[in-house]
Amino acid sequence: MIKPIKIGALAIAGAIALAACGSSSSSKALVIGTDFPLQGSSADASASTNNAIKLYLEQIGNKVGNFSIEIKEYDNSTAAKGGWDDAQCAKNAQDHVANTAEVAVVGTYNSGCAKIIVPVLNQAPDGPMLMVSHANTNPGLTKTWNPGEPDKYYPTGKRNYARVVTTDDYQGAAAAQYLKKEKGVTKCAVLNDNQTYGQGVAQAFVKEAAAQGIEVVLNEAWDAKQSNYTSLFTKVKSAGADCVYIAGIFDNNGGQLVKDKTAVLGDNAKIVTMAPDGFTGYPDLQKMPEAEGLLLSFTGLSQDGILAAGGTAAKFVEDYKAKYNAAPVGSFSIYGAAALQVILAAIEASDGTRKGITDAVFSGAGVTIPADKSVTGAEIAIDPASGDVKSRTITIQIMKGGAETDVMPWELG
Amino acid sequence: MSDVILEDSGVPVHLAATNNRKWAIGFTLSVIIIFAFYQYVYTSLPGEVQNFFRAWLPLTSLGEAMIFVLMALGLNIVVGYAGLLDLGYVAFWALGGYVAGWLMSGFFDSKTINFGGHPPVGLPNGIHINFWLVLIIGGMFTAVWGVIIGAPTLRLKSDYLALVTLGFGEIIPQFFVNGENVGGLNLTNGTQGITPIDDITVFGHAFGVFDLQWKFLIYSALAGLMIILSLRLRDGRLGRAWLAIREDELAASMMGVPLMRTKLSSYAVGATAGGVGGVAFATLINGVFAERFNFAISIIILAMVVLGGMGNVWGVMIGAVILSWINSTGLVQFGNVVNGALGTNINFPSFNFLIFGLLLVMMMLFRREGFIPEARTRVIMHETTDHQGAH
Repeated sequence: MIKPIKIGALAIAGAIALAACGSSSSSKALVIGTDFPLQGSSADASASTNNAIKLYLEQIGNKVGNFSIEIKEYDNSTAAKGGWDDAQCAKNAQDHVANTAEVAVVGTYNSGCAKIIVPVLNQAPDGPMLMVSHANTNPGLTKTWNPGEPDKYYPTGKRNYARVVTTDDYQGAAAAQYLKKEKGVTKCAVLNDNQTYGQGVAQAFVKEAAAQGIEVVLNEAWDAKQSNYTSLFTKVKSAGADCVYIAGIFDNNGGQLVKDKTAVLGDNAKIVTMAPDGFTGYPDLQKMPEAEGLLLSFTGLSQDGILAAGGTAAKFVEDYKAKYNAAPVGSFSIYGAAALQVILAAIEASDGTRKGITDAVFSGAGVTIPADKSVTGAEIAIDPASGDVKSRTITIQIMKGGAETDVMPWELG
Repeated sequence: MSDVILEDSGVPVHLAATNNRKWAIGFTLSVIIIFAFYQYVYTSLPGEVQNFFRAWLPLTSLGEAMIFVLMALGLNIVVGYAGLLDLGYVAFWALGGYVAGWLMSGFFDSKTINFGGHPPVGLPNGIHINFWLVLIIGGMFTAVWGVIIGAPTLRLKSDYLALVTLGFGEIIPQFFVNGENVGGLNLTNGTQGITPIDDITVFGHAFGVFDLQWKFLIYSALAGLMIILSLRLRDGRLGRAWLAIREDELAASMMGVPLMRTKLSSYAVGATAGGVGGVAFATLINGVFAERFNFAISIIILAMVVLGGMGNVWGVMIGAVILSWINSTGLVQFGNVVNGALGTNINFPSFNFLIFGLLLVMMMLFRREGFIPEARTRVIMHETTDHQGAH
């Protein structure tokens, strides 16, 4: 037993020596961290996001202004947890701050993880340190929502968190407006998956539905662990709903839900059914015959929309396909590159310090990426007061012949 | 017969004591060295060396490992000592975590209570009770729940018992996921979780987010306390009664061991450790999230106990430290080292489940009895030859 320990100790000592002389970095290089769950159900989307970010950086020659940029990938999931792990988020937060070359972070994917990391970055001694998320849609991170939000995430009183996606509330509101004005529905049943995202979207839908004069006849959560939702939709039927709004993520047993909805209430032409972008980008859903005619909403422009519009954004998607032999997974990977664009613009407008970069986003006019430069094809303007993106374009799609097809862009009224 | 089982026969008492002393000194020294290193040496080291230690021995993960030691030792009381298989231990972690969420944050914002707590600057609303008090409250609260959960399992054995604990392990976290509207009261904030948790204070001094070495010291002290408690309990009357139940329930009850009381107290003590660990963990990550408390976490804590050596305090401690480290740091670094050394670009995170599973299988193949098997288990296995003459 003693020998292996000695060998192990030697190996560790050797590793220390190697590590000590192995890594050396030039002083002008700045590091941008990416912080995604690389294991578990979001692994593919996260890997694709990292790819999009690396591709974009490669295209601009890994350089912005006088600074050369490097990417450091962090993983906020663990094998034991099988998804994002709050302890790993806490650890990564410390690492972002301790890595002195790192000036900003792209991430996170999960709003819960952001709630752990943002306050730590906010208190960085030479900060606050900027974090720009491509996927956090929980409103409370940037605006008054639950008690204490958002101030409790910013202990220094200064903002350091921005995002390039609109929050849940916009999407729910746009869906309610669209259903009333274009589809003329009167009675809606609202279902949510009981997660932060689904609840936020549902809450916003219910609020806007009241303003639009839609009666919400049922507002309930579906349990992702249930094997069958027949009784849930029987309830919807007896409530006399002429539309169903499914607020949540397809991963939470959304397939079964859509199947049972069709079985009980009839197809989507008979009862208007709509879902937010938590249901977009899933080949499993697209292939389902029951999904035919399902309405979807999506913040910003869809990949189809981007390709149709041409320009920088379309070229970026084409380049991505050429380099990785596959289309970007889901919508958020392109938004990862957009978050990087915001950080790079901030670096360019700053002295390259953490504080300087954060100030570039949260002072003056803030950061704006014009539509012809943006990888999303739409203008990205970050509000310097809140860190939220100003764009309020929602794309309405319909599932047709096993593919998501654009119906129309919807400007939130 | 009862004399043999209830005594630590076979292992001379003085030898066991020396052994314990050695381990205790080793544990204390390691903790002090790590603390002193990060407190006094780390900051003056060159950047590359700092990077090395941050990559291989990050303080957050060390703190997490200590909390896992605490939890694993708690589960060891139930599984290792009393021999009651518990597949739902994460429930106690969740209960402890939410006690911290309720009593150490601005969550109940309609009240403003401050009892030696440390509310964030400018946000005085909510209930802010001193960390050390919350530890005690959390421990007591979960002890009560340990008894409540333990009660219906008393009439069950082996697989059936495991299933009931599994049930509770699923029910309680689900309750927290769905608890944002309990009769009109938002009790848990659902999946959005409760953040931030107040800082730990010691004599009025608050440890902020970057005082990790101090937090590590506090978590180590809690783990140390649990180690002492486990060792002392084991030698005491209660501990010997647990072991008796583990070896042969029927024989134990015939010898006058009160089964119900003894089993319930093992649940209570185990749950207390889970609750204290839950409070500590909430302060480590600065929040409580319902999504953390899934079945996989129950299993990983059970794996720590089994892998380390069921019933052996030091084995369980080593098992917890190693598994926790592999999960939080080891797997990531392994991937980085391989990719760095071979110049490859393998996506290691996508293989982590596989590697983690293989490690567990290998350990079970080559060290089935755990890293440090309990001396007693060995003694009992050899009992027929050693003690037959005496009885």
